[in-house]
Amino acid sequence: MPDTQKSVCEQRVFEEVFNTHSKTIRNFIYYKCGDAAQAEDLTQDAFVKLWNNCAKVPFEKAKSYLYTLANNAFLNEVAHKKVILKHQKSVTSIATHESPEFVYREKEFKEELDRAIANLTEKQREVFLLNRIENKKYKEIAEMLGISVKAVEKRMHGALVSLRSEIKEFKK
Amino acid sequence: MEHQNNDTYLAKWLAGEMPDEELMEFKKTDEYKDYKFIVDVTKELETPTYDQQKNFSETLNKISNQNQKNTTKVRTLIPKWAYAAAAAVVLFLGYSFFFQQNTYQTQLAEQTSFQLPDGSDVMLNADSKIAFKSFNWDNNRTLELTGEAYFKVKKGSKFTVITKEGAVAVLGTQFTVNSRDYFYNVTCFEGKVKVTSGKLNHILTPGNAISIQDNIATPYKTTEVTPSWTAQESSFNEVAIYEVVTELERQYNITVLGKENLKTAYFTGRFSHTNLQQALTTVFDTMEIRYTFDANRNVRIQKYK
Repeated sequence: MPDTQKSVCEQRVFEEVFNTHSKTIRNFIYYKCGDAAQAEDLTQDAFVKLWNNCAKVPFEKAKSYLYTLANNAFLNEVAHKKVILKHQKSVTSIATHESPEFVYREKEFKEELDRAIANLTEKQREVFLLNRIENKKYKEIAEMLGISVKAVEKRMHGALVSLRSEIKEFKK
Repeated sequence: MEHQNNDTYLAKWLAGEMPDEELMEFKKTDEYKDYKFIVDVTKELETPTYDQQKNFSETLNKISNQNQKNTTKVRTLIPKWAYAAAAAVVLFLGYSFFFQQNTYQTQLAEQTSFQLPDGSDVMLNADSKIAFKSFNWDNNRTLELTGEAYFKVKKGSKFTVITKEGAVAVLGTQFTVNSRDYFYNVTCFEGKVKVTSGKLNHILTPGNAISIQDNIATPYKTTEVTPSWTAQESSFNEVAIYEVVTELERQYNITVLGKENLKTAYFTGRFSHTNLQQALTTVFDTMEIRYTFDANRNVRIQKYK
């Protein structure tokens, strides 16, 4: 069935849209607020609204509709919160066979990076994490956020510059 | 070093779009080492796991719940509040004629004490309520409690405290009852106290206490002579962290956001009612929970261990 004929009002199509986008939307909101439960709640609400308006939203517009809904809901409801992501437990060390002191420093460094990411502006953080963790291309992020690719690149660049300046202080 | 795109070259570099020549130059700099390191470490970040199946079924639930709400709208000829109002008038008249009901209630961050008709003393902790009928009090010393209270009972007939969880019956004695949602605790300071909850039956002697959570009774000992909260402190013996945080909210009239996500852990210790910062440190630091304040005096839990 060509995409243009698909209707979100069919449960099978709705489920397909859910399976394709719900995780990324959850993480998109999570990178903003740092609260997984709340992010999931808002994501679910966005899908409920999509279902309610399924007749009005063409299949190919569903994705950007969902992002807009989730983002608006977030802006309305969630008080902004610092985001601290967990480092994976199984640390794949960057430099193995290093001295214990180095390993300790590295752990400290990671905590510092967590903090630095939490201190990014919300706009920089969502772009940085969507690209680095979700592996979204700048073009996709631009579509999600409704901004230009150039603007995404600027935020990405800005994020790296401020991460480096925060971490430089620490390394001294 | 000159970059072609002054405010986006790092983005270009990450996307592999930096011109080769520029890239070769860039790789020689210290700046490059720093960024490479940041990018490598970032790869190890992870987001909380996502259960797609569960989220999908929750979404479907939300959809069907809203449908139910939409279809059950029925207009009635006589508004429901009219029945309620009529019933309330009857109840009110009935009560005021025959069983005058006395009620004492405390708000958040408030304690009060008062005497019962027979001279027994009651101290009521924050966010608690006691109701009793003064009619024929000397022969029927029964009161209803929600929340937490300390009783110093004058000798006399049987004295019974009824809570949602069960009943506590005593003769002249001193004891506390704490009956909150999901949590029920009785401590005996003097005399003998009989605790009934569902099928459980326990007799407490001085220095003994019992806490009942999820129908499991845990007896324990206390060295306190009076309950700690009457001396501006709250103390806990292996109490679920959620309950401890709820008590913090009660004593300081604050809201702790994110407490429903706290993992199951048990707290033993005490916090003061007079210094919020200290109390938060006592509870959260020992449990390794990070928190911050937001603009509205709310405490926001940041990270759970």
